Amino acid sequence: MSDPFSILVAGVGGQGNLVCGRIIAEATVMQGLRPVVGDTFGASRRGGSVLTHIRIGKQDWGPLIPEGEVDILLGFEPVEALRAAAKYAGERTVALVSTLPVPPASVTSGAKPYPAINDIEKALDSLCKDVHLLDPTSVIDRLKSTRVLNTFMLGILSTVEGLPVDSKNLRKAISTVLDSSVDLEAFDTGAKELG
Amino acid sequence: MHEPEREILMSGNEAIARGALEAGVGFCASYPGTPSTEITTNLFEVANEFGIHMEWSTNEKVALESATAASWVGIPAICPMKSLGLNVASDFLLNLNLSGTGKGGLVLVVCDDPRGHSSSNEQDSRFYAKAAKIPLLEPSTYQEAKDATKRAFEISQKFEVPVIIRCTTRLSHSRGLVKTGPVSRKERKKPEIAKGLFNVPSPHLRHRDLLDKLEKISSEFEKTSLNVSGTGGLLVLTSGISSLYTKEAIHRLKPEKTTHLNLLTTYPLPKKQLTKALKQAERVLFIEENDPFLEDEVRSLAVEMDSPPKFFGRATGDVPRYGEMNTDIVMTALAKITGQEEKHTKSREQFKDLIVDRPLTFCAGCTHRNFYYAVRKVKKRLGGKLVVAGDIGCYSLGVFYDQAMDTMHSMGSGIGVGSGLGQLQKFGFDSKVISVAGDSTFFHACLPGLINARHKNADLTFVILDNATTAMTGFQEHPGSGTQAKDLHRVDIERLVKAIAPDHFKRENTIDVIALINLLHSTVQKDGLKVLLLDGVCRLEEVKRKPGYIGDTPVKIDRSLCKGEKCMICVADFACPALSWDSETGYPVVLKHACVQCGSCITVCPHKAIVEGE
Repeated sequence: MSDPFSILVAGVGGQGNLVCGRIIAEATVMQGLRPVVGDTFGASRRGGSVLTHIRIGKQDWGPLIPEGEVDILLGFEPVEALRAAAKYAGERTVALVSTLPVPPASVTSGAKPYPAINDIEKALDSLCKDVHLLDPTSVIDRLKSTRVLNTFMLGILSTVEGLPVDSKNLRKAISTVLDSSVDLEAFDTGAKELG
Repeated sequence: MHEPEREILMSGNEAIARGALEAGVGFCASYPGTPSTEITTNLFEVANEFGIHMEWSTNEKVALESATAASWVGIPAICPMKSLGLNVASDFLLNLNLSGTGKGGLVLVVCDDPRGHSSSNEQDSRFYAKAAKIPLLEPSTYQEAKDATKRAFEISQKFEVPVIIRCTTRLSHSRGLVKTGPVSRKERKKPEIAKGLFNVPSPHLRHRDLLDKLEKISSEFEKTSLNVSGTGGLLVLTSGISSLYTKEAIHRLKPEKTTHLNLLTTYPLPKKQLTKALKQAERVLFIEENDPFLEDEVRSLAVEMDSPPKFFGRATGDVPRYGEMNTDIVMTALAKITGQEEKHTKSREQFKDLIVDRPLTFCAGCTHRNFYYAVRKVKKRLGGKLVVAGDIGCYSLGVFYDQAMDTMHSMGSGIGVGSGLGQLQKFGFDSKVISVAGDSTFFHACLPGLINARHKNADLTFVILDNATTAMTGFQEHPGSGTQAKDLHRVDIERLVKAIAPDHFKRENTIDVIALINLLHSTVQKDGLKVLLLDGVCRLEEVKRKPGYIGDTPVKIDRSLCKGEKCMICVADFACPALSWDSETGYPVVLKHACVQCGSCITVCPHKAIVEGE
């Protein structure tokens, strides 16, 4: 594995970024490695962007991923994924991006349209090594909760090659942190997503 | 947080709280402020188990004074605050340093916020350690955050001075593994107050004694071996979280003959050890958060050297003089100094149209929005002749709401500035004046300003946006909050204000926006000191108190009445996040998952197209 191995989670307040960071960190400890998790949220509860920087290694690394050094980008929202990729993605970056938008105020006010998902995909393609766009609608509908987005995305993450944390440790960490069967189901669904 | 000795994940703030616990802390007084708040909330969680007195004080000065009182009678005390809080507490600090802290031990934790992620400035609070001539520790890892806090108590207890721990946002709000130690279960002695706790009539002699102490503390700091290896090359001197960025930058660039030295004790400096390190270096690069504090201290130390090394840092422009530190900045500086080629990242400007802004906004149903909407309407009615002096809290977001607020500085400065503006008519100043404050801010710093405005007959309207909680930092209790712990006594804002005897006083709710506009308009046109106490609701707090809670006024859009694109007042002007423009149909829609069913938007629509109903 590359040491540090860096995962960046990009979303908006209330999407579960922080919990996602905690789960990956707990799984990293189970793996016998050292995590450092930095959250940058400002006043995020009032609708702002949230980034969670996760560093995994044999020693403590800085709580901010340097530019271009992201191994996996977990995008909980298309525009947020692109915002994060434009600053931090590089030649190693594998992007896993939820296609479900959370429109910002400039869009809900009718001032601007939400960008077309195809344009976002093209932009991500030019910034990252691999891009996977994922539609969480069916799992959210089936489990009747938008809150399963983060565990669904963690399930997808668990299948990415080179991830230094085992899938079973991630699953165990979800049980420890969330203790919810719905989230484990979302994780298992995510794990099958990339086939 | 109170689990026995093992390695667990902790944020810098949790680690500081844990360190205090291991040091046997008995008293914690604090005022909430990002990024420091969680130190206190973590101690609150274990307070009963370990017999710790906990309080959210009215402001940071009161917090420091209360914590000091505990230390004076022999109880170890901690006082966490954010950067700007130390400005408030500094008046007391610069007296306390001279009189000393007694036997208990007093640790002041200040969390700075480089880049001002959640602050109105990016001040470097380390200068207070130098101004007060008291020891300063800057932990650089999660483990060190815990260990340094414990050590800070030992230093304070030994030398009877307050000790400052300086943390920054990244350490406070990130997590790593921390090996915990045993929690102190020492039995406390019967409290007895120290003697001579004043500095008059000879503060200069107290000053002399403090300088003596500082010398002794400096010698104590010398005992920590600095482990400087490597000779003749580049020495990178760091403090705080910058240490981790530097480690990573060196790991990646692998510059030749480079040594990294991180200092925990940045004031007073371990001068002998540091001079030894400087002698072995040809060049020195400083990497630290905010201002060149360490850099200036070391530069002045090097004046006494025969052939000092060459220095690189903020003073030479090799490190940016503002903004937050990160690994990329360290790499750029290192590459430049060691003659390595700098990596050039591709320009990413071409995506800026796709990356739509996500500005901060008031929550759905937040009554602050109703108030600022009213302010904007009244401003229009007065032909722009209205100045709004704002304050610190969620309602600071008024600056992002079509700039409904004209000024915003420190806690309580809205009413202070208003008190001045309200007396400028004799110079021909002809705008009406509104000062705004929230309930927690009202108690924190507004009383002197309000009394001044009353005493001087200032002509202004003071609006207190009372949502009965400290909303911005996570609903901490304050003297007027709606819920109070059993042993606390609620202080009534209305009675306090009435005791000051404003010319006009009115208490009103904030749900009916049109009524609010009319009330504000008629009030600002009256002469004298007017106070409006507006009862509001924090929707986040409401849901926290009553999980799943939602109001009783669901709304929908009646498209037969809605003017569509010709109007858009509800989405573009009022802009509650629960109302969204649907460009396909050309009508607004109510976002059910976001709407808190407060019904305020019904009054906003001039065409009566927003109606009650599912």
